[in-house]
Amino acid sequence: MANTGGSLFAQKSTDNSARIEKEEEITKALTFAIGEQVYGIEIPYVVEILGVPKITRVPCMEVPYFIKGIINVRSKVVPVVDVRSCFGKEEVEYNEKTCTIIVAMNDITVGLIVDEVLEVLSVMQKNIATTPDLNNVNENKFIEYILEMNDGIKLILDIKKIIFDHDMMFSLQ
Amino acid sequence: MSKLESGMESMIDMYLFESNTLLEQLDEILLRTEEAQTFTDDDINEIFRIMHTIKGSSAMMGFDDLQLLAHKGEELFFIIREAPGKLEDVSFIYDLVFRMSDLFKAEIELIQNSDEYTATDFSDTLADLDKGAAMLTESEHSAAAAASHPVGDYNTVEQQNAEYLGEGFMTVRIFFQEGCKMENLRSFMLLNKIREEADVKDFNPVDLEGDPNACDAIVENGFTVTFKADDNDEILKLIESAINVEGYEIVHDSSADKQEVSDDAHDDAHDDHDKDAEHAPDTTAKTPHPDSSSALAAPATPTANTNQAAAHLAGKQSIISVNLAKLDQLHDIVGEIITTESMVISNPELEGLKLESFLKSARELKKLTDELQDTVMSIRMVPLAGPFQKMNRIVRDMKMKLGKDAELKIEGESTEVDKTIVDSLNDPLMHLVRNCMDHGIETSVEERIERGKPAKATVTLSAVSSSGEVVITVSDDGKGIDTEKVLRKAESNGLLMKPASEYTEREIQQMILMPGFSTNDVVTEFSGRGVGMDVVRDNIEKCGGTLTVESKHGFGTTFNIKIPLTLAIIQGMEVKVHDTVFAIPISTIRQSFKVQNSEIIKDTQRGEMIMIRGECYPIMRLHEKFAIPSDITDFEDGILLLVETDAKSVCLFADKLIGEQQVVVKPFPAYLSRYNIKAAGLSGCTIMGDGSISLIIDVANLIEAY
Repeated sequence: MANTGGSLFAQKSTDNSARIEKEEEITKALTFAIGEQVYGIEIPYVVEILGVPKITRVPCMEVPYFIKGIINVRSKVVPVVDVRSCFGKEEVEYNEKTCTIIVAMNDITVGLIVDEVLEVLSVMQKNIATTPDLNNVNENKFIEYILEMNDGIKLILDIKKIIFDHDMMFSLQ
Repeated sequence: MSKLESGMESMIDMYLFESNTLLEQLDEILLRTEEAQTFTDDDINEIFRIMHTIKGSSAMMGFDDLQLLAHKGEELFFIIREAPGKLEDVSFIYDLVFRMSDLFKAEIELIQNSDEYTATDFSDTLADLDKGAAMLTESEHSAAAAASHPVGDYNTVEQQNAEYLGEGFMTVRIFFQEGCKMENLRSFMLLNKIREEADVKDFNPVDLEGDPNACDAIVENGFTVTFKADDNDEILKLIESAINVEGYEIVHDSSADKQEVSDDAHDDAHDDHDKDAEHAPDTTAKTPHPDSSSALAAPATPTANTNQAAAHLAGKQSIISVNLAKLDQLHDIVGEIITTESMVISNPELEGLKLESFLKSARELKKLTDELQDTVMSIRMVPLAGPFQKMNRIVRDMKMKLGKDAELKIEGESTEVDKTIVDSLNDPLMHLVRNCMDHGIETSVEERIERGKPAKATVTLSAVSSSGEVVITVSDDGKGIDTEKVLRKAESNGLLMKPASEYTEREIQQMILMPGFSTNDVVTEFSGRGVGMDVVRDNIEKCGGTLTVESKHGFGTTFNIKIPLTLAIIQGMEVKVHDTVFAIPISTIRQSFKVQNSEIIKDTQRGEMIMIRGECYPIMRLHEKFAIPSDITDFEDGILLLVETDAKSVCLFADKLIGEQQVVVKPFPAYLSRYNIKAAGLSGCTIMGDGSISLIIDVANLIEAY
C-alpha cells in the first residue's frame, strides 16, 4: 500500500483500513486514449479541451523532444507536451480526433496532446486497485492509481509528476 | 506598535501611496520656496494641509510616532501661518522640515518593507522641532506686540494657558450641539460638575454669566477648560455624557506629553494634541483648507476617511492609483480582443461574399480597437518628471554638504516611459547625480574661473525619446575624467587587459564603469567607495538599457543612459524562416539587404562572411542555428539582416521579411524555465495578429552563442 504515492488513495485507504467497499464517488476523471491504453486525469486539474492549435516549436537544444512547443490559448502562451511521445511510444500524425487537454496546477499550465478524449467518469473507492510496486512497472510513478472499471483498466495519471518531473520522463526514453 | 491592526492591511497601500505623494509635494514646495527665500500664504497653507493629512492618516493607521512628528510639523507651520511675512530668518525651518520629511520617508519605507514594523524614536527631531517652534513663537510674539495684536486672540491665550500648566493638567475644548442655545449657561453647569470631581485651574471664556458675547465665543471656539483630577479620563467621560455636548478635543495633556516626549515634557508648551478628535466641528472654520477636516475625523470611520483622501487626491490631480497587475490584465484582454477581431473580420467563411456594410462596420471596429490599444499602452506610461524632481533634493543637500555652488537643469522631464522602468531608474539617476556633484564639479571656484567657466556649476538632466528608446543624459560642466589617472588606477587595480598604451581615450573612460573602480582618493559620505558605477550600469542593464560615459578633460562629463520605452512592447521586425516567425528588435537592426552568392566570402571551414562598407561580418543562418528544415538555403533566395549590439555585429540569414510591428513581449511559460532558452538566443515570444506565436530573438545572446 505504501507503494502508490497517490495521496488520494493513500488517505482514503487509511481512513478505511479494512477497505470496505464504498459506493461514494471520490472524484471525477477525464479519460483519454493513447493507442489502446486508457488513461485519466482527475477533473479538478483540467481547464479545457482543445483541438490541436498551431504549435510554435521552441528551437532550443535543451528542450526535450516531447515538448512540442508553445500554443496560444486566449492570449496565454502555453507549452504543449505530446503524451504519446512522452510515454515513449511512437509518434503518430495528428488527426481530427487528436486533442489538447489543458491542465493547470499551481499557476503552471500545460497542454497535453492525446490521441482521443473519451469520457468523464466517476472514481469510486471500490474501483481503485493498488498499483504494483515492482521494478520496471510504473517505475517513474506517473500513475497515481489504477481504476478497474467494467469496460477495462484505466490508469489515472499524477499530474504533479507530469508537470514537475521532467527528469522522470527522460528515464523513460 | 508591532503589528498592524487587522483590517488595516488593505489600507496600507493607500496610506503609503498617499503619504509618499504628499511628501514629494512637500519637498517640491520647500525647494521652490527656499530658492525664493519666502513663503507665500498658499505655500504655508499647502504645507499645513500636507502635514495635517499625514497626521490624520498616520493616526488612523496607528503609527503614533509618525502622527506625533507630523503634528509637530503642523504646529510649526501653524505658528508661521499666524504671523506671515513677519519671519526674518527662515533658513533653519528648511533644515528642520527637510529632516522631518527624510524621517518620514525612511519610516514609510520601513513600513513598506517589513511585516513586523516597530516605531522609531524621533525624540531628537521632535525636540528640535519644539525648539524651532519656540523660536518662532518668540519672534511672533514680539512681532505681534509690535503690530499690537488684538489682546485675547484665541490661540495666543490658549498657548499662554498651556505654558504655565503643571504636571497632570489637561486642557479640553468642548463643543456643544449646534443650535442648542445658552451655551454660556451650559458651560457654566458643566464647569460646576467638573469642579466637583477635579481641580479646575482655568477656563475660557472667563466671564460666562456677565459677558453677552460668551455664547458666540463658545459656539465659535468651544469652551476650554483646564483641570487636574485623579483620573482625567473619568472627567472626559463626564464631559462626554453631559447634555447637549457634541464632542470635545484634548488641547493639551501634560501627562500624555510626558510619555511621548520624555526629555522634553516642559519644553513643548503648546501642544494642542487632538488625539481624540472624535468630532471637531469647528476645524473647518479654523483651517482654511476644507481637506484638512477629512484627516481630523479619522479614528471614527477609517474607511470613510480613506475614501475622502482618495477623493481628495482625485480632485487635486485627477489621478487615481491602479494596481499594475490590473493594468497587465487589461492589456492582455485588449490583446485578445484584437486577435479575435482579426479572426472575425478575416474569417475564411466570409470569402467571396459581398458584404459592404459589414466591411464598413469592421473598419470602424478596427479603428476603435486600435485606439483602445494605444490608450491601454499609454496608461502604463508615466513621465520621468518624478525621478527627475527628486534629484533637486539631492543636488540641494550635496551643495550644502560639499560647499559647492551648483544648479540642476532639467530638460524633457515630460518624456514618458513604462512605469516599471521609471521605478528602476531612481537609484541609478541618484548615483549619477551624486557622482557629478562629488567627483565632477571642481572643489574650488577659482579652478572653474581659471578655466573660463561660470562660478556656479551646472548639472544637467535631460531626456529625449527617439525611435523606441529614451536617452537620458546626466552631465556636468566640471573637471571631466582624467584619463591618465583612470589608467593608473586601473593598472594598480589589475583591471587592464592589454598594454596601457593601446587603450583609446573612450575605452579608458568606460573603465570607470567597471566593478571595483573608484578614482576618488577620499571616501565621502556620498560616493567614492568604488561600488557605485558598476552597480549603476548593472541596474540599467537589468531593465534593458545601456550606460556609456563621455568626457572631455577639464570641461565636464556626460553619462548617457539608453533605455527601451517599455519592457513589454518592442518595435520588432518579423522575419520568416520556413514556418517559424521570428521578431527581431528594430533597435538592433542596422540594415537588411539581398546579396549575390559571389559576394559571400567563405573561410577555410564552413564559416561564411560578407564584406559591407569595408568591414567583414560573419553570417549566421537562422535555419541552421535553430535547426529548422527550410527549403531556402541559397543566399540569393533569402535576405540578410545586419544586426548589432554592444559593438558586436552579425548578419542573419532568413527566408523573407514580413514587416515591422509593435510586439508585446511575453516571457516563455514557467514550465519551460528549466531549459536555458535565453542562452539559445530567444528572449521571449509574442502573439501575432493572426493568433500564432512568434519568437523574439535576443541578438546579444545569439551573438554570444555563435
